[in-house]
Amino acid sequence: MAERKSIEETKVALHDVVREMYDRIVKGDPPTMTLPVRTKNNIGFDPKLGVYKYGKKRTIRDATSLGSAKQLLRALHVIEFIESMIDDGKSSTLREMYYISEGWGLGKFQSQNESNNLAEDLEIVTRCLREDFKLRPEEDGARMIGNLTLRERNRRGEWMRINARDDVGDSGYGVPYNVEAEKIEFLEHDIKFIMAIETGGMFDRLVENGFDEDFNCALLHLKGQPARSTRRIMKRMSEEWDLPVVVFLDGDPWSFRIFASIAYGAIKTAHISEYLATPTSTYLGITADDILAYDLPSDDLSKKDIEALNAELSDPRFADGWWQEQINMMLEVGKKAEQQSLAKYGLDFVTETYLPEKLQQLGL
Amino acid sequence: MSIAEKMAANQKQVAISEFFEKNKHFLGFDTLNRALITAVKEAVDNALDACEEARILPDIVVKITKLDNKKDILQLEVEDNGPGIPRASIEKVFGQLLFGSRFHAIRQSRGQQGIGITGVVMYAQLTTGDPTHVESKIAKEATAVSVDIGLDTRKNKAIKSNQDRIDWGEKAHGLKVKTKMKAKYQRGRQSVWQYLRMTSIVNPHADILFIDPDGEKHHWQRVTERLPGRVEAIKPHPNGIELGQLQRLCSESRESRMTTFLRRTFSGVSGRAAKELCEVAELEEKLKPKSLSPQKVRALLEAFQGERLLKGKPVKLLNPPTSCLSPIEELLIKKGLSKTIDSKFVTTMTRVPSVTQGNPFQVEVGLIFGEGMAADKPVEILRFANRVPLMYQQGGCLLTKAIESVDWRQYGLDQAGGRGVPKGPAAILVHLASTNVQFTSEAKEALSDNENVMEEARKAMLEMGRGLRKHLEKQKKMGKTKEKFELINDIIPAIAEKSASLLDLPVPDLAASITKIMSAVIAETTTTWNKETKQTDVHIILYNYTSRARSYTMLVNWPERQGAAMVGNELGGRKEALGVWAWKLETLQPGSQTVITYSLEGLEKGDWNETDVFYRGSQEVIGATKMDEKLLDEIRRQEQAAAAPPPEEDIEDTDGEDETVEAVPQSEVAHPTGDTKQTTLFGGDY
Repeated sequence: MAERKSIEETKVALHDVVREMYDRIVKGDPPTMTLPVRTKNNIGFDPKLGVYKYGKKRTIRDATSLGSAKQLLRALHVIEFIESMIDDGKSSTLREMYYISEGWGLGKFQSQNESNNLAEDLEIVTRCLREDFKLRPEEDGARMIGNLTLRERNRRGEWMRINARDDVGDSGYGVPYNVEAEKIEFLEHDIKFIMAIETGGMFDRLVENGFDEDFNCALLHLKGQPARSTRRIMKRMSEEWDLPVVVFLDGDPWSFRIFASIAYGAIKTAHISEYLATPTSTYLGITADDILAYDLPSDDLSKKDIEALNAELSDPRFADGWWQEQINMMLEVGKKAEQQSLAKYGLDFVTETYLPEKLQQLGL
Repeated sequence: MSIAEKMAANQKQVAISEFFEKNKHFLGFDTLNRALITAVKEAVDNALDACEEARILPDIVVKITKLDNKKDILQLEVEDNGPGIPRASIEKVFGQLLFGSRFHAIRQSRGQQGIGITGVVMYAQLTTGDPTHVESKIAKEATAVSVDIGLDTRKNKAIKSNQDRIDWGEKAHGLKVKTKMKAKYQRGRQSVWQYLRMTSIVNPHADILFIDPDGEKHHWQRVTERLPGRVEAIKPHPNGIELGQLQRLCSESRESRMTTFLRRTFSGVSGRAAKELCEVAELEEKLKPKSLSPQKVRALLEAFQGERLLKGKPVKLLNPPTSCLSPIEELLIKKGLSKTIDSKFVTTMTRVPSVTQGNPFQVEVGLIFGEGMAADKPVEILRFANRVPLMYQQGGCLLTKAIESVDWRQYGLDQAGGRGVPKGPAAILVHLASTNVQFTSEAKEALSDNENVMEEARKAMLEMGRGLRKHLEKQKKMGKTKEKFELINDIIPAIAEKSASLLDLPVPDLAASITKIMSAVIAETTTTWNKETKQTDVHIILYNYTSRARSYTMLVNWPERQGAAMVGNELGGRKEALGVWAWKLETLQPGSQTVITYSLEGLEKGDWNETDVFYRGSQEVIGATKMDEKLLDEIRRQEQAAAAPPPEEDIEDTDGEDETVEAVPQSEVAHPTGDTKQTTLFGGDY
């Protein structure tokens, strides 16, 4: 189970990876690295954690082909680099590491995607977090508005008290990449739930209409597929303050996936699902029946949309009856709709009619 | 001169200039760019022909200078080291239209196009008013003749001026032509540069230096000292004759008997065939050819063309001799292509001569492939007829159609729908050598359709295509082998070192892991030209990366046929067949290697770039091909056939009362409809 590791534990875990390669060579075999299979066919529900985790399927990356052998060599370089950062008390972004790899000769990365994936591979194998590796993303976290107070440790190491309604401008409180306890502590709040919103346009509409104050809630802008820190802060707030999370997204197959990654865990990060996913969150809309019920302006599903919906039908995270019904209905109707299509009925329709009706259905 | 006479003279002058003006499209002077190309072409063709006849290796210099930019006036200078032209003949060559002897002989010659150098003199005079300057030196005279040639268009005669003798110093013989004309110098696919480049490909014995208007020098060096074979004139063949020609031959004949006439005047007619032709044409053998009535000439023509039958079959005729053809030949095409296009893979093929409508012909093709050329553009097509580049009307030409008719996708080139000109980093050369090249039009830039030529060209392309495919497959295999070597030589040692240093442990021994990773026997072959020794060095390293001991016989192909000698071959081995050498190697222990090295002497750079390696043994060798014993047997059979004395010619001569049959060599020629399967032993490549 992923949890924060000490420096020593991290080093030992990384050395185990090196050990596997070394021992194989000593035995006269090609060096290897063993990883879980990272596809939807190898994720399963963990009833204890309430989220989806990687199953037992393992893939062995061995050095019998040039591509795999280079991956192993790169992993060794990354491990060496992490160790040196730990020892020197430094950290770097994934992008910086990609550029540093220029000096690694044969172990150099060809693209940043490669270096990002390898960092994830190491997280999975060592059961550490990339924060333990002193690696951080450049992805920016979300923004948040609502009557809640937290304290954040700034660059100078001082704690700053911030109210996410009174101390911020219209763009809200910017969520940092590290939202762990050493960086953020939650102090107090006067909200009943957290609403996660897919698009910036809708977030700004709700802010302008004063929705957070009228409905006593926090608004969180996801920026499409939410970053790890966004999912993590939702998880912490929901757990530590015992607040429900409602998710308000576009009505299309890709939004369904965003919801799945928030509620059940993403396939790519299934090794740390229990750390990122909020199993108690609820999908508010736009649902397939909303498109019909509210007669929303809609677009035809593209070929890719249909493929995505069909893939979701066999995704274990969408196995329950409600999701099967929604996906099949969308396939049947052949339509998708954006959040902002609600503007068909005026700028206030979303805050005065749609959301109150939907929240009532959810009992909030 | 009376007014009437003056008018008549004027009329004549107008007529000749007008003739030129009206027909300039097929005389090759229709655009300013083409006029220049045509002028260069006439001068260079003359130089090459003259050198060939005099058996001199040609050195040709072509220089173009801009004289007046605004008016598009250029100066063209062409100089050769040919035999020169005797003083008395200069005015005929440069000042008379249609002068020359080659129009009557039946053999392969360059000068089937254009109206000759006189056309250039005329064009220059019409566009600038200036005469053409000529210098000529023949070997037996101490000095060169220098003269300006203009044209009297009324009399179809040259006007000489400024005649003088000058000292040429060291140079023993040659010809210099300098002329001013309205023309434009352009670059690209239709340019003087391209014409000279193509000319140098099919004339590998020539050294051509071109100085363009910007002063830039383009030099195509001689790559062989061997002059093209002497071509012999042949007698006409009955299958290729027309009525008018037959009438003329009959009426001009001094023979006293039809049979003698037929045997002596035509090629391919034996004594028996002469009698049979007379029989089916219902002519008495004793008739005098001169006395033949038009009806009888027609009957004879019908017999010639197989329209009159003997016992239900046309009279059997021998094929015409092919000594009149001068193919460039595979090795020289290869050299020609290699010197103009820098690339490693060249395959060439010269088909055996064939016959269409009584005319001998021969198709040659070459394909060069490699990185130097654009991969996403149509391949460059280099068309030639009797060693003359064809630069216009590519789409309508039979040779292009032959290329387009092949599905090149199966050989590794891109081609939309498997038809049309393929795309890829390649150039395809097609050469038709024939005594009678048929063009689509008077412009003489595109060959007209002919089933037999098409068939031969297609067969040659398919054979080349197979060679290309083999090459690409080999490259792919080599790429994989290279990856494996990078893996075991670089990556695995780096993993071992890095993991050891991270764990603070000693670097482990790699041998066992490497054997497991490779689990194969690998041959690594390099063929490189050694500048210092002027030899081609071949190294073959055989590694055994398996856990068992292995034994092999390794074989290679080498250019024995091309006259190369194998030197420095310390492992010895033995000859398996012509061009195939073999080494029976000692048992190779796991993890060990054996090296075979030798050098090839007597070759030039670029002659031998790739060595095919074969093996006999149970375990597969990566980087070599399992020896096909059937192929080896085939090579041995062909070798024996080549070594055996040629079979006696079976020419029956029952026509006893006449003198003996002339010994015209009736060389064995495969008939186009027959099975003319021709294989090259290593996929079209040497």
